[in-house]
Amino acid sequence: MMIPDAEGDRALLWLLQLASPALPVGGYAYSEGLEALVAAGDLATAADLGTWLRGELAGGAIALDLAMLVRQYRSIALGDWGAVVARDRWLAATRETEELRTQSTQMGRSLSQLLDQLFQPDPAPRSPQGQDASTSWPLLHRALGDRCTWTTAFAAAAAIGGVGIEAMGLAYGQGWAGNLVTAAVKAIPLGQTDGQRILLTLAGAIAAAVENAIAQPEDRAPDCCTWGLSLASMAHEAQYARLFRS
Amino acid sequence: MVERAAWRGRLELAFGQRGDRGTPGSVAVTHQHAVAPLKFQRPFYPEGPDLCHGALLHTAGGVVGGDRLDIDIHLGPNTNALLTTVAATKLYRSTGAIARQHTHLTVGEGACLEWFPQDAIAFRGCNFEQTTRIDLAAGARWCGWELLRFGRTARGEQFTAGRWRSHLEVWQDDQPLWVDLQTLEGSDDTWHSPNHLKGCPIIATFALLGAPCDRDLIPHLRQTTIPENPSPNAEFGLTRLPQGLLGRYRGPSSLEARQWLQTLWRSLRPHYLDRPAAPVRLWG
Repeated sequence: MMIPDAEGDRALLWLLQLASPALPVGGYAYSEGLEALVAAGDLATAADLGTWLRGELAGGAIALDLAMLVRQYRSIALGDWGAVVARDRWLAATRETEELRTQSTQMGRSLSQLLDQLFQPDPAPRSPQGQDASTSWPLLHRALGDRCTWTTAFAAAAAIGGVGIEAMGLAYGQGWAGNLVTAAVKAIPLGQTDGQRILLTLAGAIAAAVENAIAQPEDRAPDCCTWGLSLASMAHEAQYARLFRS
Repeated sequence: MVERAAWRGRLELAFGQRGDRGTPGSVAVTHQHAVAPLKFQRPFYPEGPDLCHGALLHTAGGVVGGDRLDIDIHLGPNTNALLTTVAATKLYRSTGAIARQHTHLTVGEGACLEWFPQDAIAFRGCNFEQTTRIDLAAGARWCGWELLRFGRTARGEQFTAGRWRSHLEVWQDDQPLWVDLQTLEGSDDTWHSPNHLKGCPIIATFALLGAPCDRDLIPHLRQTTIPENPSPNAEFGLTRLPQGLLGRYRGPSSLEARQWLQTLWRSLRPHYLDRPAAPVRLWG
């Protein structure tokens, strides 16, 4: 008979909760420029969508996010709040359009507030190290102040809930892809099955991006290119009729 | 391909208020040290003594693998300078070694640095890395642009091999305002992909930092600076940055990009420097 791994089960369930579209952070409201690409005729088919998302995973803003997610997780595990705060500010400064910046800080704030409510006063999940989430999260949140990127908040939620680094990265990547596929299904529009098929075919690219984020040295800024995303997001800011907030 | 020994070029410049003699508020070069192939041309004052124009010169004509160039420029408090380069910078094909350029700009309290280099041309097969760090004191402003051409398109060359990397950071009061990380690994894929070049050789960037930007300014600039009849495939984008704004161009024409950068500058200069834009000699 299998012995239930209570600690592992709890971490997995917490990760599923974090990655679920039911998490009240409003991820569904953002298209990260996809809506503008659709309006410009640059994104018209399921194949176009797959190409765009794979391009972002290979070296766009999401690749940078994953690298910083991993670094934040490690610093949080060490209790190095100074490093977490400095990296959070730096990451926020890489969001170069107003909408992308607003998206990250709005989602980060929503998750921070949720963690505040969940982890005070009753300690919910315990990390494998036995570190009590109810003590470490308030310390980190105090260090961060009011502003926090989505990436940092997600790393904090994963670390204090005992989620492993690789699982955290995969869930972050899958959550990103899921939101954008859902947005594109509405904006293009595509069938639900097409959306699910694209999500399934992105699995290899998501896993590779996470592996790369974990393996790369921390003393160097990641390689990425955001020209396409930046122009799409700037075009979205100027777009007349919009369903999405980015 | 250009074969020669690698350069270790260096240029240090400091600008400040002229001392006891001369007009109050006039700007002078207070320190200058140049190591070939970098040089600084004699400063000139087409807008009066309180704003110094200057041009940086790369005497070797271009950058090859293994070169290392360091540029360190400091503006003292309340000092205004406009700097450009004498010619386009060519980034030649490399046999493997990386060419590196590091630029450090510090802008003192209440000072303004305008940084308008001419185009950089990345030859197919180049291997170039640049890092740029800009430190703004309280009330300091930096307005700058970059105009990149990927591949010598006049001869049909596409940037489908080689590597160009840039890491720029702008800080004010120990807070990062804008971090711009761009790496382009030349390939058929990145040449065509909409995430990268989308088949266009020209990327241009315009940034203004240290001057808070009203919400209304961006729509106004969109209406008044973006050409009514742009080239096919050209894209123009504008957005606000914390304490500033950012513009991006991706398209087929460096002329079109250069005209847009200059139009943005002319529109914004009264806003951040409280003076009109004047003709700049080297832009022709």
